[in-house]
Amino acid sequence: MIEITINGKKCTCEKGEFLLDVARRNGFYIPTLCHHPAISGQACCRVCLVEVVEKGRSKIVVSCVYPVERPCEVYTDSERVKEDRAVVLMLLKERAPESDVIDALCKAYGAADGSRFAAIDGEKCIMCGLCAGACAKLGTGAISTVLRGTAKKISTPYDEPSKDCVGCLSCAYICPTKAITFKDDGQTREVWGRTFEIVHCRECGAPVGTREEIALAARRAGEEPEELCPTCRKKKMTDIMAHTYGIV
Amino acid sequence: MEVSEKRIEEIIHSYQPDRRYALAIMQDMQREFQYVPREGMEALAEELQCPVSSLYAMATFYKALSLVPKGKHIIKCCDGTACHIRGASTLIDGIRRELKIGPGETTQDGMFSLETVNCLGSCALAPVLVVDDVYYGKVTLEKLKEIIQGVKEGGAE
Amino acid sequence: MKKQILICCGTGCRANGSMNVVEAFRSEIEKNSADADVIPQIKTTGCNGFCENGPIVKIMPDNLVYYKVKPKDVPEILEKSVLEDQEIPRLMYKDNEGNRVRSQEENPFYAHQQKLALRHIGKIDPENIEDYLELGGYEALKKALQMTPDEVITEVEASGLRGRGGAGFPAGRKWRTAASYDNFPKYVACNGDEGDPGAFMDRSILEGDPHAVIEGLAIAAIAIGAEEGFFYIRDEYDLAVKHVKKALEDAEARGIIGESVMGSSKRLHLSVVRGGGAFVCGESTALMASIEGRVGEPRAKYIRSVQKGLWDQPTVLNNVETLANIPLIIRDGGKKFAEIGTETSTGTKVFALVGKVKRTGLVEVPMGTSLRHLIFDIGGGIIGDRPFKAVQTGGPSGGCIPESMLDLKVDFDSLAKYGAMMGSGGMIVMDDRSCMVEVARYYTNFLCEESCGKCTPCREGLRRMLEILTDICEGRGREGDIELLERIGHAVQDASLCSLGKSAPNPILTTIKYFRDEYEAHIREKRCPAGVCKNLTRFEIDEAKCIGCDMCAKGCPAGAISGEKKMPHRIDPSKCISCGSCREACRFDAVKAVGRGQEA
Repeated sequence: MIEITINGKKCTCEKGEFLLDVARRNGFYIPTLCHHPAISGQACCRVCLVEVVEKGRSKIVVSCVYPVERPCEVYTDSERVKEDRAVVLMLLKERAPESDVIDALCKAYGAADGSRFAAIDGEKCIMCGLCAGACAKLGTGAISTVLRGTAKKISTPYDEPSKDCVGCLSCAYICPTKAITFKDDGQTREVWGRTFEIVHCRECGAPVGTREEIALAARRAGEEPEELCPTCRKKKMTDIMAHTYGIV
Repeated sequence: MEVSEKRIEEIIHSYQPDRRYALAIMQDMQREFQYVPREGMEALAEELQCPVSSLYAMATFYKALSLVPKGKHIIKCCDGTACHIRGASTLIDGIRRELKIGPGETTQDGMFSLETVNCLGSCALAPVLVVDDVYYGKVTLEKLKEIIQGVKEGGAE
Repeated sequence: MKKQILICCGTGCRANGSMNVVEAFRSEIEKNSADADVIPQIKTTGCNGFCENGPIVKIMPDNLVYYKVKPKDVPEILEKSVLEDQEIPRLMYKDNEGNRVRSQEENPFYAHQQKLALRHIGKIDPENIEDYLELGGYEALKKALQMTPDEVITEVEASGLRGRGGAGFPAGRKWRTAASYDNFPKYVACNGDEGDPGAFMDRSILEGDPHAVIEGLAIAAIAIGAEEGFFYIRDEYDLAVKHVKKALEDAEARGIIGESVMGSSKRLHLSVVRGGGAFVCGESTALMASIEGRVGEPRAKYIRSVQKGLWDQPTVLNNVETLANIPLIIRDGGKKFAEIGTETSTGTKVFALVGKVKRTGLVEVPMGTSLRHLIFDIGGGIIGDRPFKAVQTGGPSGGCIPESMLDLKVDFDSLAKYGAMMGSGGMIVMDDRSCMVEVARYYTNFLCEESCGKCTPCREGLRRMLEILTDICEGRGREGDIELLERIGHAVQDASLCSLGKSAPNPILTTIKYFRDEYEAHIREKRCPAGVCKNLTRFEIDEAKCIGCDMCAKGCPAGAISGEKKMPHRIDPSKCISCGSCREACRFDAVKAVGRGQEA
């Protein structure tokens, strides 16, 4: 156990625990954008930065990946944190002027004045890369970060509809700024330039997902693809069990 | 060299099927074909059992790799600091006037590509130009014209 | 009697045609010296560092050095200086007083240097392992094998050797930490991704003395218990890659590395990985991602790579120059090494002295040498004796140091106090015709392209700072721009993910700190005092100074200059593109930069 202070309050944590988790557990809310429990180690949006004083030396760290190794003092709202965060938020706002999430963060925490700059027209993406991470982990790796530096973006190879994409929308759901556009009318789903047919539950008729994502899920589970919604699948399992144990 | 399935397979199989060789294999393709052909990237993804997108991410990240064929002659203009303060941008403008191409572009006839590089480590000879791996030091606008003319007439010396 | 003809074949001399000189010597020797008493031997060597004056030819044992040798000089050299003992004065170096000097030691460029890392370069053929062995090569490795790993590390700690790549982390401490984990396999790697524009120390060492670096890396592997290692070398360095590969093959063939390291029970496999052309891969975690075959993005380094590096295993990564010093430290003891340099920065440092300095090239001097000594005594001062303005150290992570600070002693700590850094050793000298705002814009533009683009402050902060700097250079600067640059710059330093981003604002912040008046002239008076920023500059010819030599008109790409021979020339402002070629061409200081703001 390690004892640290956050904004003056004594808190305890395990060695190696991430500062963000310790702070939130103790009632200190730190904003985040690129942090997601399923996709670790992103550390790129930088809005969760805090000031840490260790052995008398002060430094700015990002709390989402900073492991607590020894006693220290943490400040989530010091002057230095406020100033750095204000600039980071301003940069994000000029990057993604269309994002309501960024706008709300700027209002809540205060952003520097960015009127000097030409904001990127119509942009919502903050280039955190969560979508590519989710696609690699949950989907099929159909999208990735492309290029580098200020030109960096998210896309499919050659900016063409990807044959790897299964239309699972993991990318769109995980995006903190809702920057990935898709259409879903219950019959078809459009994302990344492709249109997918939606399969409906053969029992109750509820939409289940795209044919490709059902196939992928079945392949991973080592089963035959089944066109059942989660509720009917459960029901089917229950029926089988009941039958097995001779209840009916 | 013409892109062929056979050559692609040969390049891929000259390495162990291990992710760590992905960059080296694509560099070999670049050397062989002057770019990383799409079929090469797809074959490599198949071999390494990885998504094409992860190789595409590398191919667009690393400057040594290119997705489109480069010109027959590659002019590398050094724009490292030493060359920069000794007039590299004047040379780049000069090439723009002579060949109508900017950095990263290829002439319409496919003869020349212009690349700017950050430092060739030949700062003592600044500004430096490399045409088809031949180094030219202390290049002036006048010398530039001669070099381009020379290449047009019979390849780099 | 034998005489050796050492011909410098580093990248610089090759660009100056040294391979033709080698050929000329070969054919000339075949023709003329079959029955002479003297047996000439040709040796091609690595970079002598004085590239501007290449090709360099050294005759040994006479210690006679010729510069700017052309193939047509070869028959005369062979006849007079090899087969006989005569000098050819016109090929010898002219010192400050105009005297022709014979040896390298008498040449003011070399006279003040102390060569440790560069000790063999120019003396040996880098492609011939025999040459290296003859000078005691691999004896340090042999010695290290007879010591315990702890003794080896203690020796490196005693030397005080700090990482030459820029950060200056103590090499011994890094090894000690890596050795302390019993998590195998472990790896060693050599960082040869020398990306700072204006720096070529590592290129020269890899090209000119590859075995020294291999020996250093092998000793590191023995010390921490690694059996595999990598040389990560910049893609642009063809010759370095070739020489290291050859050296590795030769060392393996001789049983120096491989299944048994010099007959011991230890194994070591070393291989070369070519960089992909990305500056950020000089950063340790990005470099490791690249070796693993991924995009070269850095990761947060709160857990250091000595603990979790390549494939999450303990990894020691050292710079080329750091490793080149290791064999010396093991051979002669750490204490002897620590006697050189300053207390906290021991040993020597190799600098690439370039830019607007008379004698440019590679120089190796003890740590703590002053900037003034480097630039004026070794470098001979500014070209054309123009006024010195600044020296840029440490590449895009470094800063610009003004004249008032020329007496600073260069080591790891002293420059850092002033917002600059020694960095890996690039040293670019600038005169009054270098615009400091444009220099800041240049580095920021460089970093915008070279940033990996992963974290917000670096990617977006650089984008916005470049926007402001471009505006200032093109005459659209506004009041408040300087303050905004400082504000964003400080946040980028604080909040970026890796050292590239954290140091990226240094060129901007130091130029603002020391040359604020130049920024103000651009913003308020729409004037570029150095006459570099095209939108703000116009050139005029001073009729009183112009002698009508026509040099300016010849070099003018726009055909904007006219005038009869021996009569004052004129620049047509409607054709002039403000490139400044005429000013560089004029030997009479007759071309003047005039601000455009003054026209209005």
